[in-house]
Amino acid sequence: MTQENALKLFKCLADTSRLRIVQSLTQGEMYTELLAERLNLTPSTVSFHMKKLEEAGLAVSRKEQYYTVYSLNREVLEKTLFEAAVSEPEQADEQQKREEEYRRKVIKAFFEYGKLRSIPVQRKKKLICYEQIAAHFEIGKVYEEKEVNEIILPIHEDYCTIRRDMISEGIFRRDGSRYIRLK
Amino acid sequence: MQEFITYLSRKTEEGKAETASLLADGRTDDANFAKVRTNIYDICRTVSQALVSRPGAGTGAIRAQLERFHTEWGAALEKAKQHDNTHGIAVEETKLAALDDIIAHFQEVAGA
Repeated sequence: MTQENALKLFKCLADTSRLRIVQSLTQGEMYTELLAERLNLTPSTVSFHMKKLEEAGLAVSRKEQYYTVYSLNREVLEKTLFEAAVSEPEQADEQQKREEEYRRKVIKAFFEYGKLRSIPVQRKKKLICYEQIAAHFEIGKVYEEKEVNEIILPIHEDYCTIRRDMISEGIFRRDGSRYIRLK
Repeated sequence: MQEFITYLSRKTEEGKAETASLLADGRTDDANFAKVRTNIYDICRTVSQALVSRPGAGTGAIRAQLERFHTEWGAALEKAKQHDNTHGIAVEETKLAALDDIIAHFQEVAGA
């Protein structure tokens, strides 16, 4: 177990409702509605807690007709506290991790379901958003201006500004009315 | 309409107490959902108070505003479902459940 996973596990269990869910699941598999009834929570709140338990590796789910059935991942639960406490940090570069976290936060703040809420004023944030938009284009492929507009428009209505900015930031190279994604 | 506003104030206060109690019980995420619910009662109270004091507005304006909220949040819920956004679904369902409760009470007070 990595230190990151151990932290996720501890954070996940530091919640009375989730501990009660785990306690219920020790009695066997259960579906969302049954857990909701037993714990006096709404089904959507149970689903929310279950997602966190799944992300921490404490529970697994499977679909059964219309229901989602949950069970405990005993392998993780039976690990000792000692094992979690002595876990090693991941080898990934700390600076890189911080940057990834910052990037994730910017994307969460500026995008909603794939649509750009507004063009950031700060250049660093703007670049992150443009890189996110650039992911809709293949590197090296030639796009006509009309195609570029059609791809950007569903993301943000001001596709002209974004297209121009992406050229000046070196994300696109323009050759007449043709565009190539460089990075 | 004063009774309706008093009801919204009472629900807001009850919601604040519930949020504090859940936090004290170590149920942080449930407390956040209770806070979302409380905010809905508080928003509806603020809007209703403003509409009641506006000349020419009244129960009709409040009803229209509540319906607008329902349409907007219903659309937000559908969007969250389309994107399988578990957190978003829970938030929007919490908002709509509180709003349904408010609308039911409003209909009792103002007549359907």
